[in-house]
Amino acid sequence: MLKYDEHNKYHRFIRTVLITAVSLIAFVCLWWVVSKIANNAAIPEPFETFEALIDLVCNGDPVTGLSLTTYVVSSLSKFLRGFLLALAIALPIGLILGNFKRVRAFVNPWIEVLRPIAPIAWAPIFILLFGYIQGATFVVFIGIFFPLLTNIIFGVTKIDKVLIDASKTLGASNMQIFLKVLIPSTVPYLMNGIKVGLGIGWMCIVAAELYATPLGGIGFYVANMITYGAFPQAYAGIIVIAVLGLLTTGLAEYISRRVSRRMGMDV
Amino acid sequence: MSKSKIKIEGEKYDQERVRADRTDELYKHIPEGETLMSISGLRVVYVTDEKETVAVEDFSLDVKKGEFISIVGPSGCGKTTILRCIAGLLQPTRGKITIGDRECTSPGSDRGMVFQDFALFPWRTVKQNVKFGMEIAKVPKDEAEERAMRYIKAVGLEKFADSRIHELSGGMKQRVGIARTMVMHPAVILMDEPFGALDAQTRNIMQEQLTKIITRSERTILFVTHSVDEALYLSDRVVILTKRPSTIYKIVDVPWNRPRDRANPEFTALRKKILEYLEMQNVMED
Ligand SMILES: Nc1ncnc2c1ncn2[C@@H]1O[C@H](COP(=O)(O)OP(=O)(O)OP(=O)(O)O)[C@@H](O)[C@H]1O
Ligand SMILES: [Mg+2]
Repeated sequence: MLKYDEHNKYHRFIRTVLITAVSLIAFVCLWWVVSKIANNAAIPEPFETFEALIDLVCNGDPVTGLSLTTYVVSSLSKFLRGFLLALAIALPIGLILGNFKRVRAFVNPWIEVLRPIAPIAWAPIFILLFGYIQGATFVVFIGIFFPLLTNIIFGVTKIDKVLIDASKTLGASNMQIFLKVLIPSTVPYLMNGIKVGLGIGWMCIVAAELYATPLGGIGFYVANMITYGAFPQAYAGIIVIAVLGLLTTGLAEYISRRVSRRMGMDV
Repeated sequence: MSKSKIKIEGEKYDQERVRADRTDELYKHIPEGETLMSISGLRVVYVTDEKETVAVEDFSLDVKKGEFISIVGPSGCGKTTILRCIAGLLQPTRGKITIGDRECTSPGSDRGMVFQDFALFPWRTVKQNVKFGMEIAKVPKDEAEERAMRYIKAVGLEKFADSRIHELSGGMKQRVGIARTMVMHPAVILMDEPFGALDAQTRNIMQEQLTKIITRSERTILFVTHSVDEALYLSDRVVILTKRPSTIYKIVDVPWNRPRDRANPEFTALRKKILEYLEMQNVMED
């Protein structure tokens, strides 16, 4: 016999799966109806698109002859580099800005001016500066950098002051407080920043690749197919993008939840 | 252990002579019952944008070594403020606090503090919380482990040594807080309404447990509470404060041996008297 809790959990899981399945089927139906009504090559029917998707997975790009794996690896590697760069820079800057009010007040206007600029607006400049491939990496960097930075700063300022008091009465120096109290208590906020950043970063990479990067990953494939008028193929690429995006954010969500629980904090 | 210097109160001491995790040994030369800590002419004014609040007007007190002193007073009269000054977390406007012949101006492990809302590190386990101060003081790993476990046992949490803080009840959390402070052997222990967040039953159990700990090893404790009953159950002397700006209204000696019997008519009589004092100075101020 299952215990009540497990039983309940199992039921909830089944229900979620069922609802999701029905919802996806309904979505495909709706898509089909729209494509019929629109009767326009730019909105292919679902069936054609799935055919193109299977073709893409099995045979790769019909124009360049490159495999889907090559495209995905290319996109993901740019994405990963942009993410790591953002993390490496946002972490120290965030900790400093969170800790020092004066520095924060000084730098804040810069952040507020730069942050609202759509990352993709930087694409032409970055491509000019760093070339096609690194240019896309820097667009991802910008997309991930600001959510990371603001979350880290928020985390540092949100630290429970009484924990700092407690550390002081246990003899901790400022440096020890920084390392043993401040940094751990910022981790869940950092994870939250990563979660948000990855979502935005993934949008950025595809958008940057639309600037027809040679060898340029899955975004390039979509753009290229559209210029050839091969819409089902383009849509197949979009589905790959959606699935990969779902996987990255899902993974980030999972890790972030695990970390928060381990750190005993809910953000 | 390395011979590195450690810092207590801005002075440097040889680690061979004194360790940050055994500051009670700094005052071995002071016999039980002699003055260990002396607070004189403490005055604290909070200055905010709109106004100045005099929280503490004039507070002077000599605390003897091994003594348990409770501070009671109307809410908002400045009890926390006094403890924070002693802990070095707050700079008093005027007044001087000394332990032995050392003046206290900044926080240090010689004045341990137990907080009302526990102030435990949520990302650490029970044992890791208790070890925090010893990590700071660079106590060798084996010794830290042994000492942490001894204190975790003393507060009855040996089954929960590796639990995380959010898995514990309020009473268990505060036991971790007490173990974390006690394990450092501070010269003076400050407790700010440590049982204030607990239900009545847990509170009684905690009071008994604390009594056991302090009768086993002599500790010098300054204990802030709202409960006259708690103050009488635990302390050697009860300091009654006036309303804000607070000064000492009266100091009551509590003569009985521990463990004490709350049902004892003398106990109830003294409690009534202190409650009357508290009420009286409330009336006077109004
Ligand atoms: N940081 C601060 N800035 C301004 N005023 C403060 C500050 N902290 C405390 N006060 C004021 O000083 C007075 C004393 O506060 P304190 O917290 O020491 O009282 P308390 O006796 O501990 O109160 P309680 O019984 O509620 O714990 C209060 O009137 C409070 O409003
Ligand atoms: Mg208080």
